[in-house]
Amino acid sequence: MRTVAGILVALAIGAILWWGMQTKDERSELPSALAGRPAPAFALEPLPSFRERWGGELDLADYLGKQPIVLNFWASWCYPACYEEAPILEAAWRRWGDRVLFVGVNTQDEIDKAEKFVTQFGLSFPNVYDPRGKVGIDYGMYGVPETFAISADGRVVRRHAGSIDATQLEAMIREVLP
Amino acid sequence: MKRIAFAVALVFSLALAQTVGNEPPPDLSPQVFEIAKKLRCPVCRGESAAESSAGVTEEMRRQIAEMLAEGKSEDEIIQYFVDRYTEWILYEPPKRGLGLVVWLAPLIGLGLFGFGLYGYLKTASRRERALSGLEDVSEEELARALAELERDDTSEEQP
Repeated sequence: MRTVAGILVALAIGAILWWGMQTKDERSELPSALAGRPAPAFALEPLPSFRERWGGELDLADYLGKQPIVLNFWASWCYPACYEEAPILEAAWRRWGDRVLFVGVNTQDEIDKAEKFVTQFGLSFPNVYDPRGKVGIDYGMYGVPETFAISADGRVVRRHAGSIDATQLEAMIREVLP
Repeated sequence: MKRIAFAVALVFSLALAQTVGNEPPPDLSPQVFEIAKKLRCPVCRGESAAESSAGVTEEMRRQIAEMLAEGKSEDEIIQYFVDRYTEWILYEPPKRGLGLVVWLAPLIGLGLFGFGLYGYLKTASRRERALSGLEDVSEEELARALAELERDDTSEEQP
């Protein structure tokens, strides 16, 4: 009787340990509270290079519910993840830009450094400046880089934390294309 | 005169230090930290939003201060973060569902430990009682038993 109880306790402890090891603490797999919910709107000033084309303020509300949107949070101090994905985002924008709006949200950064980053990668999709990182919190962001796919009806469909590769980005875009 | 110049310079430098930038407001009320203590830092391990110096937690504290200034209650502010991050953002797991297991685990552990200790003490006291039974044997009887043993030994040595 005692042996059986001992084995059961050992098995229970083993099962808890196994479960604990299975639970991955990868940020990309953490749940997004926003999935399926309307994407929060924001109005921010674009970085200087984008003001001529996009004006003094980019209001996401003008585009939400009208077309799919890919929202990417980044910062120039986010090395190497943001540097790895920047060319991928630019290439995707050049390919799908006529059907999907890409918006970069430069988070908790300095304008000069952000501009340097934009020039380095020749980013041509609009990038707005969020020195406080207020929008990131509105989207439940853990840390840069993070990418969100918003459907044409204005809902958050997918969230990717960490550097995004071309395959993951394409899958994300195909999910929101009408 | 020097003193006045120094005072003027000090006032100016302080005024410059107050310029609005990306820095958090320096005078956050203790209430802000009380609320931030109940929230997790999203990019740290085991740190609350009150202790962490990560950029995201600086903004969280700033938003808490702003919401307090708007007259929002603590529950409303915490709900604001839960709406965006799920209950994962709560520093202490909620006392229901899977969170309840986390809260009860130490009690269950303590119960199991108590049960094991009780079993061990019971066995130990039984053994002690069995051993203490020897005390009931009178010295006379003990001496006789020893003498008998000795006799057996000597008989074995001389076949």
